[in-house]
Amino acid sequence: MPNVARSRIRRWRIFFIVSGLAVVVLAAIATLWIVHLDRVVTREFQGRLWSIPARVYAAPLELYVGAPVSANELEQELHRLHYRRGDPGTGPGIYQRVGNAFDLQARRVRFIDELRQPERVSIHADNAAVTGMRLANGADLPVFRLDPPVIGSVFPIHGEDRLIVAPADVPPLLRSGIKLIEDRRFDEHHGVDPLGMLRATWANLRARRVVQGGSTLTQQLVKNYFLSDEQTFGRKATEAVMAMRLEARYSKEDILVAYLNEVYLGQDGARAIHGFGLGSEYYFAKPLDELEPAELALLIGLVKGPSLYDPRKHPDRALARRNLVLKELGDAHLIDAPAAKRALASPLGLRPPGGTYVPAYIDLVRRHLKRDYAEADLAAAGLSVYTSLDLKAQAAAEHALTQNLTRLDARAHLRNEHLEGAVIVVEPNSGDVVAVVGGRDVDASGFNRALDARRPIGSLVKPAVYLTALESGRYTAASLIDDAPIELKLADGSVWAPQNFERVVYGQVPLARALAESMNLATVRLGLDLGLPKVAATLEQLGLESPPTLNPSLLLGTVEMSPLEVVQVYTTLADGGFRTRLRAVRAVLDEQGRPLKSFKVQVEDVAPPAAVYELDRMLMLVPTHGTARDAAARLPRGLVIAGKTGTSSDTRDSWFAGFTGSYLAVAWVGYDDNHETGLTGAAGALPVWADTMAGLKPLSFDPVAPESVEDRWIGFNDGLETTATCSADAVMIAVPKETQLPKNPNCLTSPKTSVGDKVKEWFKSIVH
Amino acid sequence: MVQKYRALARGIGLGRAAPGLVITLALLLGGCPAPWTRSEPQGSGPALPQPAEPAVPPAPVPPPPRPPQPPRENHLSPATRSLVTQAHTLIAHGDIDGASATLDRALRIEPSNPLLWIELGRVRLVDGNAHQAEVCARKALALASGDPAAQSQAGRVLADALRAQGRNQEAQQIESKPYMH
Repeated sequence: MPNVARSRIRRWRIFFIVSGLAVVVLAAIATLWIVHLDRVVTREFQGRLWSIPARVYAAPLELYVGAPVSANELEQELHRLHYRRGDPGTGPGIYQRVGNAFDLQARRVRFIDELRQPERVSIHADNAAVTGMRLANGADLPVFRLDPPVIGSVFPIHGEDRLIVAPADVPPLLRSGIKLIEDRRFDEHHGVDPLGMLRATWANLRARRVVQGGSTLTQQLVKNYFLSDEQTFGRKATEAVMAMRLEARYSKEDILVAYLNEVYLGQDGARAIHGFGLGSEYYFAKPLDELEPAELALLIGLVKGPSLYDPRKHPDRALARRNLVLKELGDAHLIDAPAAKRALASPLGLRPPGGTYVPAYIDLVRRHLKRDYAEADLAAAGLSVYTSLDLKAQAAAEHALTQNLTRLDARAHLRNEHLEGAVIVVEPNSGDVVAVVGGRDVDASGFNRALDARRPIGSLVKPAVYLTALESGRYTAASLIDDAPIELKLADGSVWAPQNFERVVYGQVPLARALAESMNLATVRLGLDLGLPKVAATLEQLGLESPPTLNPSLLLGTVEMSPLEVVQVYTTLADGGFRTRLRAVRAVLDEQGRPLKSFKVQVEDVAPPAAVYELDRMLMLVPTHGTARDAAARLPRGLVIAGKTGTSSDTRDSWFAGFTGSYLAVAWVGYDDNHETGLTGAAGALPVWADTMAGLKPLSFDPVAPESVEDRWIGFNDGLETTATCSADAVMIAVPKETQLPKNPNCLTSPKTSVGDKVKEWFKSIVH
Repeated sequence: MVQKYRALARGIGLGRAAPGLVITLALLLGGCPAPWTRSEPQGSGPALPQPAEPAVPPAPVPPPPRPPQPPRENHLSPATRSLVTQAHTLIAHGDIDGASATLDRALRIEPSNPLLWIELGRVRLVDGNAHQAEVCARKALALASGDPAAQSQAGRVLADALRAQGRNQEAQQIESKPYMH
């Protein structure tokens, strides 16, 4: 028995020791777990709280006498910059307009190259351009720029964008309203609110479905950090612990502001809209502190279910939700009764598409930041990113694309799919990208076709073939080539027999005409004569990044490129053979206004200016005598342009790339599913391009002839040298100086032929 | 602005490409009845090389004179001139980035003014970036075609940029060009 007793005692002892140990181990594990969670959540909170995103600016509007800015456009720009009408003597950001005369006090602004102090300026403009500028003291003002418009904020490293709102900028109604709707006991609880949970549970039980969340703002904040919709007990416990740890470490104010900057408010394609600052910009295109009570109520209501109450997809539901929030705000006397009544009667008031919300452009900014700057430098807080976005050009390109796609969709065809498109506009001299439209839904930040849609470029490749020809010295724009059928046995044994688009054969034609009318047979023959590797080398020289496959069909543009890549290649043609690297970011300044070092490669001279000039003269014939003749009707009278149409096989892709003296633009139109469009480059992309260009008020393309070349007139059809007025089909081309061109005997005699020869020639011509 | 000057020059028959001059001369010397401007293809038929059947041999027309290269002068507009002055001040203060940004600003107003590319080339030289200086100078030289004053300035920057890269022979070649004298 004692043995039994002893062993029982021993068993109890073991049991106590084991359970004691277990408790200690569990407590230790729990402590470690809490410490771990504490660390994780603190790191996240600290990281977010103190990482101020970079502000991104569009290019400032540059004013000088002659600048193409009308009085009304100037006033629009002032409104966009939130300048108020009033007495400009009373402070910065105020302007006065009397007729076409503006008097304004500009704000203190940091530009790339200077910190401008507030400045009083008077500007005169008529209905086309700026006509005069002075400082208030009467001094001459030759050039002046307005504030650069803010177009967003990015965290350059992780690429998320926010419009962070500082505590002082949180509207009081938002502060009290969000607590009222989402977490009434926020000021009292310690991160979790058992009473609130009980209330929510009771409400959910009574309604037999989940009607209330019961999570505190702090719990929601934690949930947003780690983005998980899991509703498991473990998840909830983790959230609760983290919420309590945050509350223990930070003030209510810090947590509330962090919450307002973090909460998920909707989805814009692939881009999540986080924070009330960005939400305000995304839904209303206004800074948060300018929102009306009805607009704030809509945002507050969205927190509960951003997709359920999406005001664009479900306007009725969103309106009901907003009004419910407004009623609560009124009942709690956060807004007075007349204001509540007014707000309840107001429409949703969502911003129209476009404006300063330019996700496709910001997308390029992010990529160029990664490309041109060191990651460590970008991690600094409070950077300013100065981009070359021109909001007017952006608006013109967006409008041109959406209008034309709607018109083209309306053609009689049975497809349900909508046509898509993309436009990029750059200044070829500087490589500045001034506009990017990534699709017809200009607000969506989904698939950015301007940067990522790689499609066969069709005849856009041809200028590279002709440039190779001119560079070789064996051809001029007047040389004849044979546009005749050709069959090629390919490496895989198949036979390739290209055809002209119109299925006709033109015979002997000068290069200038073959390019202007985009003849396939002539181009294939020319390209094969030059050699595929030579043509491929020219393409790479111009800016194509990866070497193309050396297949004869390269000559007709089977090579796939994105609109952005096409822009890079054509920039070199628009800029006399100088290849300027495209850039969306002009400079990044740190908080003290010092520029970050960038890996900038600027300009390279990659193609001989003479050959490029000769080619440009040929590209100028495309809109006057070739495939782009329809452009003129959409452009300002007399505007000189150069460019090339492109159509991929079976009209799957419609392209136009072209330039004026001020801008280069590339437009693409096609279906996302790569279906045939039935549109040539001239029918699909060209109208988009021309309408875009017309909106930019460009100068005519007017290249400077290098001294080694000269302009001559030839017959467009026969390539014979003529005079401007002698042949009806005379066109101007450029050739190396001293080039002997065969002359049109009716118009010119060559110095070597005597009068006798001349008579012989004439006899020959009548015998025929 | 440059474009305006060019348009003006062209209007009075002095344009670099000088189509106006060519037309005028052709009309003065030639026997082709023609309107003042180049006409659209007349008649309905395709404009094929078809020697018309003239009753008399066409009057031999002397070849057109080589497109003349009248001296062209590039100027800065008041706006760009003030920006160039600002850029000089910034360089004097050692702010190369600022000067470069200010010249970028001027180039956005007059993208094809060789005088601005010359200035930018000089800034690149001061910045120790001889290769970029060379490219800017080449671009200035291309744009300065027909303007000996601008050509010689561009040639100076180009020669300096080449020397800075140890390419003395090429520099000498540039210096021996006619526009450098």
